Amino acid sequence: MNIWPLRFRELADGRVFLADDAGTFFLSDRSFVDRYGEDRLTTRDRDFLLANGHAFETESEPAYNSFAWRWSARQAKGGRLRYVILVPTLRCNLACTYCQVSRAPETARGFDWTPEALAQVLGYLEALSGSEIKIEFQGGEPLLRLDLLNAVRDFCRARFARSEFVVCTNLQSIGPAELDFLSASDTYVSTSVDGVLSDHDRHRTQNPALAKQFFENLGAVRRVAAGRISALPTIDLDQPPDLDALIRTYEDLGQNSIFLRPVNYQGFARRRHPAARDVGRWNQFHENFVRKIIERNYQTGGNLGEYYLTLCLKRMLAPGHDGHVDLRNPGLLGDDYLVIDQDGVLYPTDEARMVSRIGLADLSIGTVAHGVDHQRLAALNGAAFNHLDPDCVHCPYQPFCGVDPVDDISRYGRLDLPKHLTWFCGRHLALFDLAARLLFSRDEMVQHSLRQWLDLPEIPIGLAPVHYDPTAPTR
Amino acid sequence: MRLLSAPAPSPTMHDVVLVGTEDGKLSYAADGRRLDVASDDAPSLDGNIVLLSPARGTLQRLIRPNSAHNTLLVTERCDQLCVMCSQPPNTAEWNLFEFYLQAVRLAPRDAVIGISGGEPTLLLDDLLNFLSILGEERPDLRFHVLTNAQHLTATDVGRLRALHLDRIEWGVPVYASAGGVHDRIVGKSGAFERLQRSLSFLARAGARIEIRTVVTTMNYQSLPALASYLAVNVPFAETWALMQLENIGYGRLNWNSLFIDTGEDFGPLGRAIAIAAGRGLVPRLYNFPLCTLPKAYRKFSVASISDWKQKYLPTCSQCSLQSTCGGFFQWYPEDRGFGGVKPE
Repeated sequence: MNIWPLRFRELADGRVFLADDAGTFFLSDRSFVDRYGEDRLTTRDRDFLLANGHAFETESEPAYNSFAWRWSARQAKGGRLRYVILVPTLRCNLACTYCQVSRAPETARGFDWTPEALAQVLGYLEALSGSEIKIEFQGGEPLLRLDLLNAVRDFCRARFARSEFVVCTNLQSIGPAELDFLSASDTYVSTSVDGVLSDHDRHRTQNPALAKQFFENLGAVRRVAAGRISALPTIDLDQPPDLDALIRTYEDLGQNSIFLRPVNYQGFARRRHPAARDVGRWNQFHENFVRKIIERNYQTGGNLGEYYLTLCLKRMLAPGHDGHVDLRNPGLLGDDYLVIDQDGVLYPTDEARMVSRIGLADLSIGTVAHGVDHQRLAALNGAAFNHLDPDCVHCPYQPFCGVDPVDDISRYGRLDLPKHLTWFCGRHLALFDLAARLLFSRDEMVQHSLRQWLDLPEIPIGLAPVHYDPTAPTR
Repeated sequence: MRLLSAPAPSPTMHDVVLVGTEDGKLSYAADGRRLDVASDDAPSLDGNIVLLSPARGTLQRLIRPNSAHNTLLVTERCDQLCVMCSQPPNTAEWNLFEFYLQAVRLAPRDAVIGISGGEPTLLLDDLLNFLSILGEERPDLRFHVLTNAQHLTATDVGRLRALHLDRIEWGVPVYASAGGVHDRIVGKSGAFERLQRSLSFLARAGARIEIRTVVTTMNYQSLPALASYLAVNVPFAETWALMQLENIGYGRLNWNSLFIDTGEDFGPLGRAIAIAAGRGLVPRLYNFPLCTLPKAYRKFSVASISDWKQKYLPTCSQCSLQSTCGGFFQWYPEDRGFGGVKPE
């Protein structure tokens, strides 16, 4: 019998999580790892490994093929460019303390698309192949240039069979024209809600009257774009929001999922929020939040989830959850989505735009006029997968995890820092540790939330396999 | 031959058109040929594609234009003898592929054609030829081939790949992950081992696979193990159909020993569905009346019973779910079936 290599990691309570390269996993104990390492597997061990897809007899047999299929299915497939982030203006009517983007004051000049820039962007979109497009409007505050948004949307609706638009907006200045624009069924709103009014005011509006205005505007937009609004809070660990109030705010918004976003280290936020470097504190905060919603869901029968943790759970259990571009493997850059900055420069991600704007490293990958510079892109993509990383190859979470070269460059100015020293790795190890402990938990409170998050009627034993051989001889 | 009540806008050489009706007899004609059918229901025959055997004086309906359930029985022979077989096999050797090819060419646009038996792959060469020709000629059609997957070999992978596999679904029964149990259910020793190899060949060809599992007393407790097995070993399957027993053929003969009242004991089935859905398979429930399913599981149910073999019980008329419920087979034995059927 041939056993595919198993990676393992001890969870906090002495149990061991094991997985193969295809991401098929199980829970066992140290004595199994010893038997595996010392080639003393018992018949029960071997039977389990065969049954759970970790072994095969010959390369021509079904067990070998199904392993190959499972491995392949774990790989994110890129594809045609169909998601483009546009920045029609860098001007903004707020100055959030953790702003991660390059911004200019609302009254500044020279920070909007010129008519020529608009024409160039439309020409770029025109030349794309395919019949679908998703456009995300970023800024600055894109609604300051509703005319440009309308021009792009009108163009895309005519050019593509299916088009979808996301406006990333602070909802600070909303009039009849903006409401009308956001009321279209192909147009979605993405905004930030940091908590109750005082939380939202602390870093964003910095003026209670403006915060009040924001919540009024949010209400107005909810009336015309119900079901098409997603909001997320940005968390400052030095002044975290009251969690219960945060949860109630999102419940009132009708969202059953909150994406807790740490203050981003890219862009300008790093100067004012040193806590953004401390991954341990973030992990603790995140886990506390998850524990809180698990308790609350059990009490209320509710279904509130933390978006990113749910994504991690789904990625552990099954392949194919590659829709979130920040967590997939390979996470090819400049492939199925990219950013066109206000000045027409192309970036693989919004974060890459920030890193470049603050002069840390030039991560541009071309211009809208001349297209993608494939040589530059290839240099970045050499680091856009985790299969061969000397740390990741030992990690049982590697098949579910991803990689973020832009974050590594942003934080450390280099790509070759050992992965286990990076913020990305520290955050994801903690996330997957938590996800694993939850998946194997038989606690009814945990299972209630898992059922909601995974949309399953029950969490049976066998969903996450467990193997022990209590009869195995010990040394 | 296509029976028409009036000439078609796009006539074919196989059309015959209604020219006369009299007591219990419909007369069709075309190009000097004449066909009398003992029926007085011309509307129900309009557009039917039929196979005529003049020597035997029989007319066999192959394709109904407005049905979603057109299935061609390509052989009655089978190398398995499943304990619940709804269509028990016999040994008669006949092969009508030549005529079926003509018939399907006449099928209405976007039809789904089922291929069943017996075991269709006993006539593998003819089957692949049939699918190959129609795949080229009729890109609008889709096929569902029901096979026990006992007769595919490594050399068939290339032949399968040459087909338009995106339009063909292969329905393959797997009853248990323990080979012995599966083999006992299908009445053939070594069947499970052979089945695994064939599934592997289908996967390597890129075929779309539906795993089908009839739920009986023989495999009920091991359904969760089967779910885990499929997640690990047949992850390439598009769907997993879990089916209640049909009280016909051997299913009727063995009903009392095979039927599980899943309304009474849903445990193993529920666990199997949750394991499968959680690990990336797409489970579906066939032939389960909605009122016998726990509410959280109803979303997996498909109203699956073909129109011509479906019925509802008298009590169903008071049920608000009837329009989305598949109901019961015509031959469902109420006195020996589900204990908990009740309107909601």
